Amino acid sequence: MSLDYVKFSNGFEKFMPKEYRDMVEHGPFGKKVTVSQMGNFKEVLEEHPMCAGCAMTLFIRLAMIAFPNPEDTITVGTAGCGRLAISQAAIPFVYGNYGDQNGVASGLSRGLRLRFGDKPKDVVVMAGDGGTADIGFQQVLHSWFRKERFTTIMLDNEVYGNTGGQESGMTNRGAVLKMAPLGKKFEKMDMLQMAKVAGCAYVATVVPNNPRRVESVIKKAVLIAREVGSTYIQAYTSCNIEYAIPTDKVMEDAKAVENDRYQFTEYVSEEAKQYLTERYGYKEFLAKPAAPAAAIPGKA
Amino acid sequence: MYLVADINVEICAAKSCKLCTQYCPEANTIQYSEELGKDKGFKYGSAYVAVDRCKGCAQCVWVCDNMAKNYAIKMIMIDQLPKAALTENITYGEKSTTAVLASPVVG
Repeated sequence: MSLDYVKFSNGFEKFMPKEYRDMVEHGPFGKKVTVSQMGNFKEVLEEHPMCAGCAMTLFIRLAMIAFPNPEDTITVGTAGCGRLAISQAAIPFVYGNYGDQNGVASGLSRGLRLRFGDKPKDVVVMAGDGGTADIGFQQVLHSWFRKERFTTIMLDNEVYGNTGGQESGMTNRGAVLKMAPLGKKFEKMDMLQMAKVAGCAYVATVVPNNPRRVESVIKKAVLIAREVGSTYIQAYTSCNIEYAIPTDKVMEDAKAVENDRYQFTEYVSEEAKQYLTERYGYKEFLAKPAAPAAAIPGKA
Repeated sequence: MYLVADINVEICAAKSCKLCTQYCPEANTIQYSEELGKDKGFKYGSAYVAVDRCKGCAQCVWVCDNMAKNYAIKMIMIDQLPKAALTENITYGEKSTTAVLASPVVG
């Protein structure tokens, strides 16, 4: 894992496809790129088979740009729509069995620390709501209780979109789906609260209709996970197929859902605030200067 | 036949908000070129679409119409495009994080 793995072997350059050559020469490896530069450099994500207009794809695209060191990052995923795109990126991807992604990431993260010591190697889990909150729930929660140092990102489309539209733990109460025709009878799981109870150092919700916010949230989560502890991001990434959202209205839906039930929230532990401020120069957590005390009349 | 996005360079180069490049779900599909607008005398560059990567979702049209209010993007049948940019014709500038060279548009 280093910049070397994206370079050409001697003599092979002319045989490589254009996309690969562009990636090596004009990709984000070893540079700092931001969301505002999109369209100006070769992205790590390549063409993939996800549906047209999928908000999850947009989120994954933004996430790949937000990784602080893409050349030193490994993504871990599980069954679900997301892995169709995550696996098509120039970032090593580990595909766990269904639900064991946080267990795999725990071992991977510890192994990388043993092998590389202090040199930061980031492990990022990106799995759907089924993989995180239903089938992988036990391993997700235990990895948080153990304070494993990696980032967990839930791509919450509120449905099992890959298998025909079954309800998941993250589906909203009353939602009628193809394979849940009577509507869901239970409330949406409160994973944010569970993450806080389990001791995550950073917990945030985000919707991809604000690319800069997605970038900032992911950057913070990955940096905190390097030393402080587990971090969790819950992203609303609508399924326009199962929820019948016209593709050109996906961002309109994201905006409506953000105003309704997915407002931006961010929890940062005191230790994480201190770490970001001291180690990476974040200024937003510095104590604001106290207002000067009002002069008391009649006293010198 | 299928629809792909087409960006009006005259409108785009006058505003240059770059929002569509940030909201397209497909990577390296809406690109930005510094030269594309400037060579026509506009102040800024312009975005353009690599049509072979475009899946025709029209999210960029919604973003351009409703968020940027520029109305510069339309969906057009692929065989009706006056000019089309293909991925294999797109080249990146020396300073890859600041510019894309424009030789992408083929007639």
